[in-house]
Amino acid sequence: MTGNSTAFTITAIIVLLVVMIGFVAGRNKSSRSSVEEWSVGGRRFGTLLVWFLVGADLYTAYTFLALTSQSYTAGSLAFFAIPYCILAYSIAYFFLPRLWKVAKAYKFTTLADYAKGRFDSKLLSAIIAIVGVLMLIPYIDLQLSGIQNTLQIAGSGIVNVKMVVIISFLLVALYTFFSGIKGPTYTAVIKDILIWVVMLFLVVSLPMMHFGSWGSMIDTISQKAPKMLTIPTSGPKSYLWFTTASLVSALALFMWAHAATGVFTSKSANALRKNAILLPLYNVVLILVIFLGLLAKMVLPANTDAKFALLELVRVSYGGWTQGVVYATIALASLIPCSIMAIGASNLFANNIYRDMINPNVSPKKLTLFTRSMVFVVIGLALICGLMFPTALVSLQLLGVSGMVQIFPAIVFSLFWKTQTREATIAGLLVGLVVTFTVYGTNSAHGIYEGAWGLAANFVVVAVLNPFFVRNRQANPVTEFLFGDQKAAEAAAQKQEQAMMS
Amino acid sequence: MNNKFAPKLAVIILALLPFVAQLLVLPFVNRMDPVIFGLPFLHFWFFLWIVLSPVCTYSIYRIQKAQGRFVD
Repeated sequence: MTGNSTAFTITAIIVLLVVMIGFVAGRNKSSRSSVEEWSVGGRRFGTLLVWFLVGADLYTAYTFLALTSQSYTAGSLAFFAIPYCILAYSIAYFFLPRLWKVAKAYKFTTLADYAKGRFDSKLLSAIIAIVGVLMLIPYIDLQLSGIQNTLQIAGSGIVNVKMVVIISFLLVALYTFFSGIKGPTYTAVIKDILIWVVMLFLVVSLPMMHFGSWGSMIDTISQKAPKMLTIPTSGPKSYLWFTTASLVSALALFMWAHAATGVFTSKSANALRKNAILLPLYNVVLILVIFLGLLAKMVLPANTDAKFALLELVRVSYGGWTQGVVYATIALASLIPCSIMAIGASNLFANNIYRDMINPNVSPKKLTLFTRSMVFVVIGLALICGLMFPTALVSLQLLGVSGMVQIFPAIVFSLFWKTQTREATIAGLLVGLVVTFTVYGTNSAHGIYEGAWGLAANFVVVAVLNPFFVRNRQANPVTEFLFGDQKAAEAAAQKQEQAMMS
Repeated sequence: MNNKFAPKLAVIILALLPFVAQLLVLPFVNRMDPVIFGLPFLHFWFFLWIVLSPVCTYSIYRIQKAQGRFVD
């Protein structure tokens, strides 16, 4: 297979341009003056910027490539992503503002920071950090394979694909080290706009090209492959899988380190509430793109590799510069989230593993530099794992969501449940992880999403063990903030307001 | 009593609605016909809730705001 030099050149130019913007975004020295500035932009971003950042963060190249390849092979099961990405925000509305407030008050920049403060437990914070990093590196590799796939189609025969992947990731690491969160934020605006324009263009023009109209595309699919248009009612994956996969993924979404980083950049709790209302709109594009996998099934030769479904569809249908712009968009949708993921993982590594466990007396200045330098370690690890042992990563990638969701009780329950204890939480988290991996390893999920088994076990353990430890529980500033005077103050303010109104 | 309870109940219903609509009722909406706005019924249903779920969240926001819940 030889590439397409026009497409490749356009992809390269657009990507380099955006990387340059990433550097310019951080030209002000203050953007790397402290961990809080570098990783969460000093918590100054308004509603719109948070929308772009979290949108760029969550709707990645992997999202578009994996979901089209899933709909290409498994039909409508792939649409589980729609309830997932809607319900995640329905849930987030209720806990993100509270989490943000406590993070702002105590300068937390990671979820592990919060757990440490809430439970007075460096152990819990270290476990959360390890789970976070362990699940995030394979996730970075999914982005890496996204860009690798585009290059394999556009650039093979023209350049050494692996070299280009390595160079582009090092460039991303460099601009992340330099600009911090400001790099991905400003480039995210470009990436999001490109995604919307390009994906809407594809959704409108591809059905017209191949079937004459959207309507006749649906007619063709319903005649040739009607089963692809509904959720299978029997077989290994059916309603139960669809429902549990949506729900568990929704609970897991904001447990990811990169999602949490995006959330902490917000300047107010209200900006997060507004985002919980506005972010679901992203799915308007996503649901239509998933149809392109079905379209690919109708159009592409039967021996096409599913992971290339969308990319091949674009190559066959357009070629030339249009292919270049689409591929550039996908490349950006893999590089920019990587930058945010690298920030999230570096932060966990530096703050919650290095500082908390190894060198508690590190000076803030040194810690900032250490955190920033970890970007190279994280991206380097991802490159090594992704390029050298791609197959070893598969199970970690499949289990990423199921693993991440296990910290949900530690992060979210603890915001509302005053007497939740650290012992029960740690036990639940560990049992949840073990159960998830066992169910996956022994292939005994019985048509239910693996993470749901783990999460159920996790809940039971926390609920059963908690009463035994509740007597030793001690209040601390964070629990005071969450359940103490603050609440009394809020209640008083509320009463006063009511009295004034009546 | 009624004055305090009604908004709370509304919030609970609005919070649960997207879950019921997108997960629990699936067996009843898992069908191709009728095709609405070019989408098979199942996908039309999902599309509908892409719009209705934020409406639910927005309504909760308005109710809570009216209650003076947000002091920040």
